[in-house]
Amino acid sequence: MSNQTIEEKSPTDLLAIEIAGIRFPNPIWTASGTCGYGLDMAELIDLDRLGAICTKGLSARPLRGNPPWRIVETHGGMLNAIGLQNIGARAFINEKLPLLRRYQARVIPNVFGYTIDEYIEAIRILEDGEGIAGYELNISCPNVKAGGESFANDPRQAAEVTAAVRRVSTRPVIVKLSPNVTSIAASALAVEAAGADALSLINTAIGMAVDVNTRRPRLANVTGGLSGPAIKPIAVRCVFQAARAVRIPIIGIGGIATIIDALEFIIAGASAVQVGTANFYDPTASMKIIDGLADYCRQHGLRSIGELVGTIRLDQ
Amino acid sequence: MIDTIARVEENELTESASRRRYGRLRLRIKVPIAVQPGQFAMIRPHAGEEPLLRRAMAFHRADRQGDHLLAEFIYQIVGRGTEALARLRINDEVDLLGPLGNTFDLGETAGTEALLVAGGAGSPALHMLAGQLNARAIPTRFFIGGASSGDLCALADFIELLGAERVTTATIDGSRGVTGFVTAPLEAAIARLERPAVIYACGPDPMLHRVARIAAESNLPAQLSLEAPMACGFGICVGCAVPVRHDCPEGFIYQKVCTDGPVFRSETLAW
Repeated sequence: MSNQTIEEKSPTDLLAIEIAGIRFPNPIWTASGTCGYGLDMAELIDLDRLGAICTKGLSARPLRGNPPWRIVETHGGMLNAIGLQNIGARAFINEKLPLLRRYQARVIPNVFGYTIDEYIEAIRILEDGEGIAGYELNISCPNVKAGGESFANDPRQAAEVTAAVRRVSTRPVIVKLSPNVTSIAASALAVEAAGADALSLINTAIGMAVDVNTRRPRLANVTGGLSGPAIKPIAVRCVFQAARAVRIPIIGIGGIATIIDALEFIIAGASAVQVGTANFYDPTASMKIIDGLADYCRQHGLRSIGELVGTIRLDQ
Repeated sequence: MIDTIARVEENELTESASRRRYGRLRLRIKVPIAVQPGQFAMIRPHAGEEPLLRRAMAFHRADRQGDHLLAEFIYQIVGRGTEALARLRINDEVDLLGPLGNTFDLGETAGTEALLVAGGAGSPALHMLAGQLNARAIPTRFFIGGASSGDLCALADFIELLGAERVTTATIDGSRGVTGFVTAPLEAAIARLERPAVIYACGPDPMLHRVARIAAESNLPAQLSLEAPMACGFGICVGCAVPVRHDCPEGFIYQKVCTDGPVFRSETLAW
């Protein structure tokens, strides 16, 4: 192995990474809410080649979601207010997980609740499931027992839900941070101290669009989450700031559609990245990025993609 | 379902007296995909990043040509996505994901008559259906309405397929056929039916609501092809929700127009 030149290294040798004690075949994952329960993508991409699949957000019980309209395209992105429609954690482990764990991609259920107890309940159900690598916590939901502000908006509440889940989970917990905060570093530090094994960021940026003819919001929910290339610079900045604040690994998310996008995040401090909205308009984007990453490693003499993480140069 | 790059063979633009603009886009797909009546594709220009999301388009035609497929789509130019489609020139490339969605069910047409109802740019979703009904010798009538004669999309194609005597037109400005909404001649035809009938419809929501009510009142089955904003077209964005009757306390759940539809039986919709 030591004599192997970089040119001879397989994509697996070059791209494999370890995060929170789990080995991933590569750092390219699909983001929650943009790949269904993973299986929905199987006809279009090779799930054996993905690093991981973050499932659609799962709650302890099924949720019907918001009334239409739920999505609207904006410049370079889209707003969504799906309302976290999902089949529930129990149906996921019974109906989806047995099929999903046949693939090489690691399975990371995304989990949410509207109270801390609901998070715990969902995690307890998922603990019964075999073939789950870890959990990703969506903490951007309103905490209905604390005035309805998002858990993510207050570092103390973010830490509280992280610690509560950490206590009941036997698996690594990745906390997904929201960009809708004053200090992403403060959020990152708070959930790290509460026991998060890794961070993923960013969730969508809250936005709004208005129909000028009817004077109504374009979304039935009035506001929605902005995603897509439009939010990429915000996401890169957040990853950069969070990476300087904490020691735990960071998974970058926000408008990643190409190899260049993925590299930007990795150089800024992300150990892995998630492809999100691009899955909607270019379903094979994740596969193209995986191919491109291996080529980049070879061209730049990297023995492993891990050598690139956080190597941003700030010297003049 | 395949994700492929198709080539533009033709992109003909027209404008109606009501100032609505339409495009007729013919694409060559180098894979002979099998398309069923009612199915759709998600398309956008391959070059450039505008629009970001592909647009859902019903197949108007899907004709095998050797190992290629010639597909035709008709679209109304209403926003950034369709404006970008309108700028496509011959030989330009188009990202195409398809075929997508369920299909019209022809199972209940035996011994019946088929009544096809279209509003404006909804007619393409019914064209392949009309062809199959014709091939099965099911008596078929086509009703199409629009603001003005130029808004009766693909009217000539339906006349060619079914014969002018089986096509009824309605326009708001009276420039062709009955003056008013298309649902009026539909109701008149239903009142004179001599055998059971099945309704198939595609058009704006108010028209579909009216068709659903007419179907319920006359006790006829109706299959409606719905439209909804969708980001992906294959079930993952969950943007294209439609309320469907369900045995639960609220009486409905949200289904997806892209994968549970686009064709729904009218009595199942919780409008």
